Amino acid sequence: MTTELPYAADAEVSLSYDELEVLRLQYEKELSLAHVTVQTKFNYAWGLVKSPLRDHQVEGVKLLQDLYRSEPSRRRECLYYLALGHYKMGNFDEAKKFNALLLDKEPTNMQAISLAQLIDKGVAKEGYIGMALVGGAAAVGTIVLASLIRRATRK
Amino acid sequence: MSEDKPSSSNQDRRRNARANLDPLITDTPPATTSYRASSSTSKLELVQKALLAPFHRRNGSTRILQDLAPVIMTPKMINSASTVSSRPRAVADSTITRSKMDFATLGRAPLRLGMGSRRITSRDLEIVEATEQLLQSEVPEPDGVASNVSLLRGFNATIPSAEQSRSRRRQMRSVEAPHIGLKKLGMNARGLLTDEEDHEGQSVASEDDVVLVPRLDVTTRKGKKRGRESLSATKLLGKDELTRQRKEIVRDKENLHVRRSLINSEITEITHKIEALDDIRAKLERDLLKLQEDELELDDELEGVKERLEFEQTSSRRSSSANALQIPQSSRRRKGPAFLPSEHDELPPGIAFMTLESHSTPITALDFSEPYGTLVSASQEDNQPRVWDLFSGSEIGRLRGHTGTVKCVQVEDQVCLTGSEDGTVRVWDLRKVDIEDANGWDEGEIVSLSDVSEEGEGDEERPNGIRSAEQNNKVNANDPCARVLEGHTKAVTTLFFEDECLVTGASDKTLRQWDLNTGQCVMTMDILWAISHASTAVPGSGLPNGLFAGAAASVGTFAVPTPPAADGSWDMYEDYVGGVQFWGYGLVSGSGDGAVRMWDMRTGQAHRTLMGHTAPVTCLQFDEIHIASGSLDKTIRIWDLRTGGVFETLKYDHAVTALQFDTRKVVAATGENGIKIYNRTSMQHSTLLTNGHTSPVERLRYMDRYLVSGGRDTTVKIWSL
Repeated sequence: MTTELPYAADAEVSLSYDELEVLRLQYEKELSLAHVTVQTKFNYAWGLVKSPLRDHQVEGVKLLQDLYRSEPSRRRECLYYLALGHYKMGNFDEAKKFNALLLDKEPTNMQAISLAQLIDKGVAKEGYIGMALVGGAAAVGTIVLASLIRRATRK
Repeated sequence: MSEDKPSSSNQDRRRNARANLDPLITDTPPATTSYRASSSTSKLELVQKALLAPFHRRNGSTRILQDLAPVIMTPKMINSASTVSSRPRAVADSTITRSKMDFATLGRAPLRLGMGSRRITSRDLEIVEATEQLLQSEVPEPDGVASNVSLLRGFNATIPSAEQSRSRRRQMRSVEAPHIGLKKLGMNARGLLTDEEDHEGQSVASEDDVVLVPRLDVTTRKGKKRGRESLSATKLLGKDELTRQRKEIVRDKENLHVRRSLINSEITEITHKIEALDDIRAKLERDLLKLQEDELELDDELEGVKERLEFEQTSSRRSSSANALQIPQSSRRRKGPAFLPSEHDELPPGIAFMTLESHSTPITALDFSEPYGTLVSASQEDNQPRVWDLFSGSEIGRLRGHTGTVKCVQVEDQVCLTGSEDGTVRVWDLRKVDIEDANGWDEGEIVSLSDVSEEGEGDEERPNGIRSAEQNNKVNANDPCARVLEGHTKAVTTLFFEDECLVTGASDKTLRQWDLNTGQCVMTMDILWAISHASTAVPGSGLPNGLFAGAAASVGTFAVPTPPAADGSWDMYEDYVGGVQFWGYGLVSGSGDGAVRMWDMRTGQAHRTLMGHTAPVTCLQFDEIHIASGSLDKTIRIWDLRTGGVFETLKYDHAVTALQFDTRKVVAATGENGIKIYNRTSMQHSTLLTNGHTSPVERLRYMDRYLVSGGRDTTVKIWSL
């Protein structure tokens, strides 16, 4: 059975500040009553994850982790959301782990598959940057070495 | 800094690398499915490994740091860390988890450094640390609400923007109408001052009106009358708008449905939680009761220790005289725990671990001096109660002397008193019983004097065949029977003694008080007299004529049929006085008219009668606070000693024949094979059955955790409580 999940693009669209405020107030009100419903927690967490601020994303992922721990029936969905959260934050390793677990359970889930592809793209992109850095460092090294040698031979 | 470097010279490299890697990207999705098991090495990773081989030597700590804080652990730092404390690690399997020092990590560094260097907070670490643990927990199939309503659906149903379409539709329906001043009306209705500045939407023409007479504004406006036109006629919404609204409404209804199912699931969850909490609360309340019981036990122990303290102090002063028969302090009122052999603790509770078989008729009376001490038991149609050593479980001897069934026994250390159907009470010295010879006297026989002389061992007991007071003093020095008390005309059915004072109850419907030093009857209390004179003497008691049919024959023989016991047997109950106990000068008796009477032994008058039982009282005990009486009406009543009110009534299935109680429990013999125990703190009943009697239990007595019971199956069983 495939769970209904949003595509990763949905995570890039953030809620307005007011909406997030409302969700936050709702969450905190229920906190003060000492019983937070699953839906409220998820709403707030999802709103946080969608936000562009890294702090919010971290908070959102933490709430999602709480949900994961406390609600076994919701774990499968949480896997996806956790993967998405980590992907947004740039923790590709964790994102990959969660997503892989989800794909184990639901190999045909479209959103999970597309998220896997996105994660791999992200990893590769960073790889390029890293490679570029190494190349740059090597280039600098050779230039410095060359100038040293030239200086030495000249003298 | 390093970001500027890889400028043009590296663009080509990047492009080439990307071209190489494009096919790889499409390859990786299938690889992810077998992600964990395989060690899939993509070309990129191979290049990484080749270039960065020196950086792969790292021990555990640097790897962890690298995992968590890539911005801190720049390549330089990692290198230095690894060289300082490096231990080559055997490279195992899966790639990404292992080699952290790859291009991706390097690529992260500039990004991190570039974008407003944000500190790694503890929350970040928390999240990453938690992943490992989370991944290990099981992911079950979603069921119930979770499968019906996904989180996302719930999100869309409950976020504030879900309400937007509704408010938008409402706005669509708002009609442009001339200003009516509703807000002012509303505020006036609530008693608030209207804001004078509120002139929005008012035409200039009516301003004068507003200043002078605000309320009449509505009715006096000119030229703006709308007439009878309906508000909705002015608005044209259009087909598109309407279809859109229809769709929105349908979606809103679905949202409502979603929210309803969410709330229902929350309600069931909370119900479960409440049930679980209720269970916990019940368990805690039971624990509280247990603590209460323990406290009562400790109180008793404290009493016992105090008494022991006094006892040991006085015994050190007192000179011990072995020959004189001393009557020790009554064990009936002793509360503290008894001295038991250490092995007794190893006994599992609630089982009969010893059985004494010697009698051939149902047991009628029993008592023992202390746990593992001496037991005296008597049975029907047997004039000779048996004396047992409870330590070994063997019979020591018999008490010969009575000429009728022994109906009641009390043992205090070495002194034993028995009352029998022959109307006499005998005082025995149990120390002399084991001097008894092995010449088997037949039970119940009255041996004539001539036979005694023929045996000629010199330490035989002489039977008291002749009932005269003088004979008592002529007994042999080694005769266990120290004294015979005569006075009652009918069977002595119950007795109680303490120190020097003895009270007996007999079927001649009298109670007699005796002095054990002199052997004389000090006072006789006539129950019938008390019954007939009850109306004058007793304030606040029940009707003096609370007599029932069976005992209405207060003249003549008292005989009441007992209700059948568990095995169906019954007989005629003829003991008029079922139980007596006294303390100081206060005496309590239970009699055949079902009344529990409290007497003052100084005056001999019954000053209070407790009515309630509807059948003869068979057994009785009291302590400082309560009186417990059991009767043939199948109940045990617990009365308040001071006020005479009933605290509790315990109902059983058959007639109660024996009871004993303390602050925590009531132990009763109720015409069944099992012994009934009632826990007074938790109000629970339980039964002792293991290795128990095979016929109804008749008598019982316990001290601390040691219980002795005798039943109709002619056996005496010893239990551990």
